[in-house]
Amino acid sequence: MKTFTLYIGIFILGSTALAQAQSKILLVNGYLHVGDGDVMETAAIGIINGEISFVKNSNAYTITPLEWDTVIQLKGRHVYPGFIAPNSTLGLTEIDAVRATRDFDEVGTYNPHIRSQIAFNVESKVISTVRTNGVLISQATPRGGSISGSSSIMKLNGWNWEDATILKDDGIHMNWPPSISGGGWWAEPKPKSANKDYVTQKSKLYDFFEVAKAYSKTEKNNKFDIRLEAMRNCFKGEKRVYIHADELQQLVDIIDFAKHFELDHPVIVGGYDAHNITRLLSDAKIPVMVIRPHSLPENEDDDIDIGYKLPFLLQQGGVQFCIQNEGDMEAMNARNLPFLAGTAMAYGLTEEQAVQSISLSAAKILGINKEYGSIEKGKSATLFVSDGNALDMRSNQIFIGLVDGQFIPISNMQYELFKKYTEKYN
Amino acid sequence: MAVCLQFLILHLQQTNIRMKFSLLFTFLCVSLSIFGQLKPQNGVIDSEAAFYALNNATIYVSPTKKLSNATILVKENKIIKVGVLLKIPKDAVIIDCKNKTILPSFIELYSSIGLSEVKPEAWKSRPKYETNKQGAFYWNQAIHPEINAAELYVKDEKANKSLIKKGFGFALTHQSDGIMRGQGALVSLGSNQLILSTVSPASYFSFEKGVSRQSYPSSLMGSIALIRQTLYDANWYASNNSERNLSLEALNTQLSGNIYLKTRDKLDIPRAQKIADEFNLTFNYIGSGNEYEIVKELKEIKSTIVIPIDFPEAYDVKNPYVSRQIPLSDLKHWEMAPQNPSILLRNGIRIAISSENTKDQKVFWDNLRKAIAHGLTIEQALNALTMIPAVSVGVDKQIGSLESGKSASFMIYDEDPFEKNGNLIESWSMGKRTVFERPNDTEIRGEYAITIADHQFQIEITGMPKELKGTVEYKTSVEGKLKDTTAKAFVELSDNDITIQFNVSQKEIKGSVNLRGKVNTKFGVFEGDGFLPNGDWAKWTAVKSGEKTDSEKKRGPDLIIDTSNYAWLPNMSYGFESLPKTETIVIKNATIWTNEDEGIIQNGIIVITNGKISFVGDKNARINPPIIARVIDAEGKHVTSGIIDEHSHIAISKGVNEGGQAISAEVSIEDVVNPDDINIYRQLSGGVTAAQLLHGSANPIGGQSALIKLKWGHSAEDMLIDNAPKFIKFALGENVKQSNWGVNSGRFPQTRMGVEQIYYDGFIRAMDYANEWKSFKTGETTSAPRKDLELEVLNEVMNSDRFISCHSYVQSEINMLIHVADSMGFRINTFTHILEGYKVADKMKGHGAGGSTFSDWWAYKYEVNDAIPYNASIMHEQGIVVAINSDDAEMGRRLNQEAAKSVKYGGMSEEDAWKLVTLNPAKLLHLDQRMGSIKVGKDADIVIWSHNPLSVMAKVNYTIIDGIVLFDNEKDRELRTRNLAERGRIISKMLANNNIGAPKRNFFKKKKGHYHCNTIGEELSTEENHH
Repeated sequence: MKTFTLYIGIFILGSTALAQAQSKILLVNGYLHVGDGDVMETAAIGIINGEISFVKNSNAYTITPLEWDTVIQLKGRHVYPGFIAPNSTLGLTEIDAVRATRDFDEVGTYNPHIRSQIAFNVESKVISTVRTNGVLISQATPRGGSISGSSSIMKLNGWNWEDATILKDDGIHMNWPPSISGGGWWAEPKPKSANKDYVTQKSKLYDFFEVAKAYSKTEKNNKFDIRLEAMRNCFKGEKRVYIHADELQQLVDIIDFAKHFELDHPVIVGGYDAHNITRLLSDAKIPVMVIRPHSLPENEDDDIDIGYKLPFLLQQGGVQFCIQNEGDMEAMNARNLPFLAGTAMAYGLTEEQAVQSISLSAAKILGINKEYGSIEKGKSATLFVSDGNALDMRSNQIFIGLVDGQFIPISNMQYELFKKYTEKYN
Repeated sequence: MAVCLQFLILHLQQTNIRMKFSLLFTFLCVSLSIFGQLKPQNGVIDSEAAFYALNNATIYVSPTKKLSNATILVKENKIIKVGVLLKIPKDAVIIDCKNKTILPSFIELYSSIGLSEVKPEAWKSRPKYETNKQGAFYWNQAIHPEINAAELYVKDEKANKSLIKKGFGFALTHQSDGIMRGQGALVSLGSNQLILSTVSPASYFSFEKGVSRQSYPSSLMGSIALIRQTLYDANWYASNNSERNLSLEALNTQLSGNIYLKTRDKLDIPRAQKIADEFNLTFNYIGSGNEYEIVKELKEIKSTIVIPIDFPEAYDVKNPYVSRQIPLSDLKHWEMAPQNPSILLRNGIRIAISSENTKDQKVFWDNLRKAIAHGLTIEQALNALTMIPAVSVGVDKQIGSLESGKSASFMIYDEDPFEKNGNLIESWSMGKRTVFERPNDTEIRGEYAITIADHQFQIEITGMPKELKGTVEYKTSVEGKLKDTTAKAFVELSDNDITIQFNVSQKEIKGSVNLRGKVNTKFGVFEGDGFLPNGDWAKWTAVKSGEKTDSEKKRGPDLIIDTSNYAWLPNMSYGFESLPKTETIVIKNATIWTNEDEGIIQNGIIVITNGKISFVGDKNARINPPIIARVIDAEGKHVTSGIIDEHSHIAISKGVNEGGQAISAEVSIEDVVNPDDINIYRQLSGGVTAAQLLHGSANPIGGQSALIKLKWGHSAEDMLIDNAPKFIKFALGENVKQSNWGVNSGRFPQTRMGVEQIYYDGFIRAMDYANEWKSFKTGETTSAPRKDLELEVLNEVMNSDRFISCHSYVQSEINMLIHVADSMGFRINTFTHILEGYKVADKMKGHGAGGSTFSDWWAYKYEVNDAIPYNASIMHEQGIVVAINSDDAEMGRRLNQEAAKSVKYGGMSEEDAWKLVTLNPAKLLHLDQRMGSIKVGKDADIVIWSHNPLSVMAKVNYTIIDGIVLFDNEKDRELRTRNLAERGRIISKMLANNNIGAPKRNFFKKKKGHYHCNTIGEELSTEENHH
């Protein structure tokens, strides 16, 4: 059984990963997917105090075992940078249908001051099943309202939200008004139509931003405004503006909006229609965190594989993009992120482009690429090793995983139940 | 006014004598010339002419007979004679109908005229199980055949006039609410008579619950089941009526008469016809306007279809960002709808035309002419508006055409309305004349010289007869020179009087000239008195000096008519232009995953003939491949049997749950399969060839399944698998106890404890029921028990004639149901979802149940807290037949990926993992004799993959069902291009119509939702739900 690898991992490393003795770790003979599009077939990766100290060719490197706390022979196994799940409620919800476990949607229309960081549950059982598929970083993202709140970039390992934080309040998330509106709710749906109030709603967003921008011009405001304070960094290029939108009309308007407010880091989240305006988007240098590829087409006429091939269309059109997973059961589904990239690979991306779309590209768009997103000297040792191709369901078998040089448990409550009941029948 | 033989005039208050008299008059043929005088006369009787002679008219005597220069002779309320050169009696009043067209009055078969709308009670969130209607009526408030339109009819002059203006003289009206709506009444719209008797009653059914707030039925399949149960009850009641039920009594009188079933979609017609066939009834259908899409099925049905002509208006398509959202199916329907009447007729389908939903006479006639421009002949149109409805109601001897002896019911138009914009000027309703307009035929257009006092003016009169315009010309002297000046003039002709007004500015006369006078057309002269600006009255004359110039208002460009288009199958994106056929196919050089002892064959060959697999072998196999065959070189490709989805909710119309009752075994998804769901095509592209369409999980005992093959382009009936084993959905846990509703709805059960009792109670009742029938059949009891559809189905389960697929999550409830089944003597065939199956695999094995599960779903509700992705592997290891299913339209497209996850979680072998979505679901569905593997003699349901099907790289090249290539990756690219071209073509046509000012509407985008297990109600979910 292939799952023996799991036992091996646990045997070698113990399962209390957080209290870890090893600070000098050498990985040898790994098939390295750097994350930037490159591969190295026989890589040796040195890790000291959580940082990658070198990446070399194993064949040209002589190991001196005494220099290392542990040396792990990978025997050709695949090494990947920890995958990144942007725009996710992972850690903010546990059981979708149980309201008490849902902590991602606050009351209010303009909520930039609402911060996901402090609601992030490091001990989420769901998280434990996500990182064992290679997803090691997420962007904990609030939902709802016109401006949902501020997200934070989190490691999927840690004692508490403080030490799990990679970048706090990395950006605000706003829902662009729909150009097509209506719809009712599911039991009493109403027809949708072109949103008559679109221009008005858009203007309101402009108005709010004008106020916030004016406020940001001075450090000493007459009156402290908690909302506007949360917006301040958006105009200084220190906080990203994530704009959730899918429809063509919205997307072209967002390009104008970003120009108007001279936003340094606007990001489109969703971008179902983005493939129609790749030129505009690449000229405007606006990246897209593209819809979950495993999404049904919006319209019955659309290409039946539009979700699958959207990443490729953006790649071809020169748009900077990464894959995200917002949608039905998104927290638990975060563990399928590698297979979303895998599907995008089947529909046009090269293998390394697919890897990049959930690692370095995501890190760049989120602004954490100096430390995360690829396996390069000087970066954080946030990576994992899989027995085979991690983008394929059959061969995504985690061997070891590291977050900032800390070994993560490669077991989870589901695996424990598997063991328990396998034993029951034996 | 007198009454002709079969007609009975009744005033509202006298309905109680209706039955008696109608029998008397219909069958005894007693002449009753003065019976109409039921009501005492105030004063002496109204004066009437002995005869009316309407002459010089163009007369549509009947659909097939049109006369010019003809005369109708009317005496009292009847037509005495129609013809050319008739001898007109001396005492006749002559009405000159020169240039006029006379049509028989139309008959509307779908109307609720004169009946007030039924108001719904306020909506309440709690379910409601009791009817509001106390009394000896049927238990369900949507079933009220006892409603009699004749008793409720109140003449509504305004509504009548609006229908008369469209050309209708009669309407079959009914209370348009509910499922069994009651009896209709044939009303005369324009005469003093209110309701006409018909030989047999006409009544109305529909699938819509209407204003009833009773929870049941909440779905289309529930409506269908309710109609069936009620019909069985009516049959039973006929011989077991110890307790009176007025609803069933009324229904029993209606069943031999005319039943009109109102549909909302073309697919409702075959659905209803199944009921008609089961009970040996004849239904006529009130159509919805898209019947042209299923002509093939309608041809088999010998019914009259009453079709609307409320053709969709063009969308406003000027903004391409908006118009790109309009589904091609809507665009195509816009283009095709006006052809609905002609296509149906061309295929020998009998249609009547209804004016339902046409706003006014203009829209009605514009649309009728549009239908004529799209291939309907005038003869057919008239037939569909007169004789077909008359025959349908059984009054064709009295009305519907203008032959002698028939009722004097006709309409007079100033021009032939079939050809031009004819206006209704008179209606004759059973002899009663109503004049709407007396058109002035006096032609005064032309040039005239006006003389008044000493002044001379020239005037040119132009314009339409009703909107005349004048231009006055006179000389003014400017700086000593005479100059021509013109001025606009007001001109109005009323009867024989003319009014002219204009302003002049001359030295001699300055101000308004107002003229009034008589017209003498014979000499082209007007004369009368005029009032001049200086206050003088003066005589004036005008003498014609020139004929009218042709000033007919130039009409705008015509709508573009193109009848070369046709409906695709289905009529939407990715629809076929013609249905692909079963082919002889040779697949060679393939890597074949047989799912049989042969395992995976390299370099293999498969031959498909007559829809079956006729040969499988490797490269060394000796075979003479068929000479004429499509040869597919599958070099480097993998070939498998098709994916079978054990748990799917795609392709279902109007409701996946009948949530109105905790046990709804009587409803069946088979009744509501929707072949137009794009998800069929999408899943074909993912290699799915067959699926079990399951009832949802709202009830402990849900409804019956439909087992289908995903035969895109085929009818719902053709998709159903022939002789498929019968299945029913059971469900446990949070959905049936409505845990996630937020409030306690009050429906039993609300706990797992209650769920158990529902089963015991249901099955004990089912056993009692079976015993009652047994006693009856052995002669122990004499009266037949009432047939109960719900309990019949439970007995099928008890007798192993129907298999159970049970939605289940946690081990306690799984264990419970196994105990219930074991103790009551039935078996659970499949536990579906079964996320804690790994905990009770031994018990499942002992009971003989299979499991159909998700690969890795969890965390969406409390009861899946212990769900693990290793579930399939553990159950498989314990020897249970395990399948991976979708329960989700999106995931259904890539079940191959989901199967592959069992390699990851639990280390299943690839061949076993592949069986999770092919052979194993075939076994669970008892279809493995025909499907699930590649074996000679099995159905040719084959998928050709680009890679190992479990690989994330795998894409489908071909999906073949019964030897028919239904998905072809190359062809799919062509279809996309074709879809866009079709969109472009129709959008241009629509734009052209936008630009000539044809009526248009804004685009409304209907959110396409998807059913999940716990979607309640008819409408699709627009949010994702729990499973």
